[in-house]
Amino acid sequence: MLKPERMVKVSVVGPRDRLEIVSDTLHRLNVLHIEEPTESDAFKIGEPFEKASKISRNLLQLRSYISYLKLDPSKILPHKKYKSKEIEEQLSKKLQEYNEEIGKRLEQIKALEEETKALDEELKIIEPLKVLNVPPALLKGYKTIKCFVGFVKSDPREEISKITDLFDIILVNYEKEFVVAVFIKSEFADEVLKILQTLGFREITVPDISDYESRIKEIEAKKIEISEKRKKIEEEIEELKLKESELLLAIEEFLSSELDKAELPLKALVSKYTFVIVGYVPAKKFEEFKNKLESTGKLVVEKLDEEDDSAPTLLNNPPFVKDFEVLSTTYAVPKYKELDPTWIMSIFFTIFFGMMLGDMGYGLLVLVMSLYLKKIFKTEGWQRLLNIGVYCGISSIVFGFIYGEFFGPFLVPGHEDAGEVHWAGEFLSSLYAFNHYHPIFDRVEEFGVKALLFVVLLLGMFKILWGFLLGFYNVYAEHGLKEAIFEKGSWFIGVLGLAFIILGFSYNLGIFSSPPPHGFGYILPAPPENAPPLPIPGLVEGWELGANDFYKIAVVLLVVWFVMFLKAEIPKMGVFGVFMVVELMTWFGQIISYARLLAIGLSSVYIAFVINYVVPKIVEVMIPVEMLVTVVAVIIMVLAHAVNLLLGILDPGLQSLRLHYVEFFTKFFEGGGRKYAPFGRVKKFIEEGGE
Amino acid sequence: MVEALIGDEAFIRGCAAIGASLAVGLSGIGAGIAESGIGAAAVGATAEDREFFGLGILFTVIPETIVIFGLVVSFMLIFAM
Repeated sequence: MLKPERMVKVSVVGPRDRLEIVSDTLHRLNVLHIEEPTESDAFKIGEPFEKASKISRNLLQLRSYISYLKLDPSKILPHKKYKSKEIEEQLSKKLQEYNEEIGKRLEQIKALEEETKALDEELKIIEPLKVLNVPPALLKGYKTIKCFVGFVKSDPREEISKITDLFDIILVNYEKEFVVAVFIKSEFADEVLKILQTLGFREITVPDISDYESRIKEIEAKKIEISEKRKKIEEEIEELKLKESELLLAIEEFLSSELDKAELPLKALVSKYTFVIVGYVPAKKFEEFKNKLESTGKLVVEKLDEEDDSAPTLLNNPPFVKDFEVLSTTYAVPKYKELDPTWIMSIFFTIFFGMMLGDMGYGLLVLVMSLYLKKIFKTEGWQRLLNIGVYCGISSIVFGFIYGEFFGPFLVPGHEDAGEVHWAGEFLSSLYAFNHYHPIFDRVEEFGVKALLFVVLLLGMFKILWGFLLGFYNVYAEHGLKEAIFEKGSWFIGVLGLAFIILGFSYNLGIFSSPPPHGFGYILPAPPENAPPLPIPGLVEGWELGANDFYKIAVVLLVVWFVMFLKAEIPKMGVFGVFMVVELMTWFGQIISYARLLAIGLSSVYIAFVINYVVPKIVEVMIPVEMLVTVVAVIIMVLAHAVNLLLGILDPGLQSLRLHYVEFFTKFFEGGGRKYAPFGRVKKFIEEGGE
Repeated sequence: MVEALIGDEAFIRGCAAIGASLAVGLSGIGAGIAESGIGAAAVGATAEDREFFGLGILFTVIPETIVIFGLVVSFMLIFAM
């Protein structure tokens, strides 16, 4: 659980003519992560089997149909699984059928599209001519007169009259331009054309038709006819899609598998008579793998190396933790020898989310929604993500019970009447009869805020220190003890020093020696009176009074840290390494950063409170009819709570994720591992092992 | 006059309240400025590659720490009074 699955590096060696059988078996076993080979003098990278080109051609065709039909294999759950044999038998027949049924129809659609386009083009020509209102027969076919028809940007009359008065022109406004027909004696044609061109003349070729109106009608009718034809073809394709989609995808899966197998030689090294494949197999599956593969005959499977740093990573987690791999691998895939932080994340992500949202009502909604969506989105990725939703919902309900919140708090400082603050306040209040009608921990009132702030800061210190410990282990495993002490150990001590400063500060504020709401009770003897919270010698008067034991320990730790730090950094960075001391402040900031666990929750609590408290009051004033008041108030409250819930899911989720990525993972988690991707594929539409 | 004000507890409370609100408000503006740049870049990256969406959202919320600092300061100001 802590570390990725152990891998064994193996080589598979055999005679070259057995490669095809081996590829078949390897693909079925689906356990060997094949390494990209490097060529040498004797061994070259192999060439795909002959059938590969034919398979890939068919596959390409099939995939183009699939993409046209918008079939997404990840969204379709197969009703039945096909047998490989079954598919192999009808493969060529089916491919031909698809070419005819889908391919031909797609071509027809394309032809119809082109026809429509041509008609549209013609319309574009005819419409301006129609505006010109000159019959087409009069626009061409003269012997001594030249007629220019087209678009111009401005009136050309003045320019033309400079050449000759013997011309006729028809000019009509058309979509920010003019349509023009200029009739001119042939001898002036060239000059006039030049003038027109300076005015942005674009010629229109007058079509051979007798009447604009009737031609436009004809075109419109034709377009309708085409679109009907197209609709019919599309319906036919849709029908086919309903009937054939699973088989289509099964064939695609089959062909993809075949192509994988046919291209295996690209991942193998071959000589004239032999082949070698090198890869990784999970250690616990090695024996089974070796036996199964060698039973095909004339093969040797051998272990190459037990421990190998560059092995691919296969995370090895129990079901609950496995759901969170989506989140942790988004940051990075752990290296083979690195600790896998997913399990820590799975626990704390859930707790953090609950701590922030912390509302029975919202938690219940998150839970119900996740369970409902799990029934709709069946793909693995969604299922895992929604599982996280389920855990977070439960965690929110638990924390909601502790905080005493159900769609908002029923007790808010300054408003002691539960029935006024919350629509179900009386009931909620009675629920907590065992605790003097108070929530187990009230995060809204003063003591709650202070206490929770202190608790989350403690949590922050704890997690950051833990992060450095894990980092210590990782560096130790990779580079040895000395490196680990200097790189992570010194920071651990430094952050511990910071933690003691925060404790000393809290102690001087009286948190451990005064009753609520000012502290946690009389845990420790009280600090001296007038002790300054932050006793800095020379800066704060009477600092001696505030120098409690926490501060003394902190000073010792910080001195130790500083010495270690200088020893580590000066050799690396020179004298300027001293400035790196500032980095300690980063960790201080990161501890404070955990205060978001309190802050984000409080903001949503207050929004919920405002919704419950203010909305009914405003609605009562705005609407005089008593019956309507309840209805409108309920509608507004439901909408407002929905918005708050949306924020309540998005923000705690993101912030919780961020607390892990930024504040925790950076201390120890480098990542950069390769995901274990065995040769073969998980079959969805075809029966497993049915070869 | 000034000395009389400094001695007045209500005045000090008022100042603390103003300080607290400034702490949250200004740090909020700061975070907003920081997030605007990151957010724009994240949207751009998401347009190029849908896979980046999750990481983009994450990058966008990173400067939110600034507001948290402001909030902690405001808590301290309010509760210290």
